[in-house]
Amino acid sequence: MTPRFNPGERVRVLDKFTAGHVRTPRYIRGKRGVVERICGEFRKPEELAYGRYAGEREPLYRVRFAQCEVWPDYVGAAEDTLDVEIYEHWLEKTEDKR
Amino acid sequence: MSGHHDLGGTRTDAPVPRGQHAILPWEMRVDALMQLLSDPQRPGGALMSVDELRRGIESLSADEYRLLGYYERWLHSLIAVMAEKGVIERVALERRLAEVERAHEREHARRGER
Amino acid sequence: MSLEHARYDRNAELLERAFRELLVERGVVSDAAVDAGVEFMYTRTPALGARVVARAWFDPGFKARLLEDGSAAVGELGIEVRSLKLVVVENTPMLHNLIVCTLCSCYPRMLLGLPPDWYKSLEYRSRAIREPRAVLAEFGLHLPAGMTVRVHDSTADMRYLVLPMRPEETDSLSEAECAMLVTRDAMIGVARVDSLKNVL
Repeated sequence: MTPRFNPGERVRVLDKFTAGHVRTPRYIRGKRGVVERICGEFRKPEELAYGRYAGEREPLYRVRFAQCEVWPDYVGAAEDTLDVEIYEHWLEKTEDKR
Repeated sequence: MSGHHDLGGTRTDAPVPRGQHAILPWEMRVDALMQLLSDPQRPGGALMSVDELRRGIESLSADEYRLLGYYERWLHSLIAVMAEKGVIERVALERRLAEVERAHEREHARRGER
Repeated sequence: MSLEHARYDRNAELLERAFRELLVERGVVSDAAVDAGVEFMYTRTPALGARVVARAWFDPGFKARLLEDGSAAVGELGIEVRSLKLVVVENTPMLHNLIVCTLCSCYPRMLLGLPPDWYKSLEYRSRAIREPRAVLAEFGLHLPAGMTVRVHDSTADMRYLVLPMRPEETDSLSEAECAMLVTRDAMIGVARVDSLKNVL
């Protein structure tokens, strides 16, 4: 699968509710960040968690977020960041430069 | 999933507890069981995935999640997943547990007599 | 599909025994394999991670490869990595890295062994991403405001190891001696590596 996003590109984490097992923490949903690197291709935890081991692999990204954007009341330096691994189906492109 | 495992950013003033308990032999065995059951090299392939272990842990109630120790959560998850897959049956486990408990009591009593 | 759980107020040690006996009886695992698995985990200690760190301090080529592809570089040292997908993050005078797993307690166990209790605690998992500086201060690490803090949440398939800074006044030490200064906590990012002066 060709990765949809490249390092340096701005992305937004989908802000959706899911009932089953996922590996996208709630605190990062809806937040915007920058792709730091592509980690390779992996199967979806949403599939693996239910015993389906043969699904298609998809790109996994490390996305870098500014702490002060993740937490409005963040105490620290403006340059402090948070890196989170996110699967491609949880990301969308964003032009928002905020 | 109720999401009580999804802790990132939860507000708490509690300091990070710094005590360390010695990992007990049964805890090491639970760890080893997980590695064996999820080993892709095992004949016939892995019986479960780490995400299934996580799903099992995440399906514990909020109280259970909080009250159980780390490897207790693993153990309950492993049992639930193996039962779901039909590798073991709950009835058989209950029967075996009762035997193990009786044997344990006998051992205890013997030690008490000395 | 939801999983049904057994009553949880039981003696875990006896429950583990009953569960394992049943698995052995069904031919799913053997006692020997369980024992071997336990033995293997006893061989995984922070000394392995410390070897990797010291090598990176002494060999710039290795360090470059380690930062590029952690698992491949660690394999060069003959350390068994199995399916570990290692990302090594480097501390500099301007940047401090901290590792956490907010969703469970993912940890580079092949290089550090089993995680300490505090790493698995609900408090560390809740707070490390939101107030890393306060958490680090609890561990006795007070970072200047001008230093950037970068937190890594191991949410998926990667595992992280911090490459701490080599302390000053260690020029006369060998690689093996330097490795002895490197602590588990420094490789998670809640401590620095102390100079020899402070260790002695």
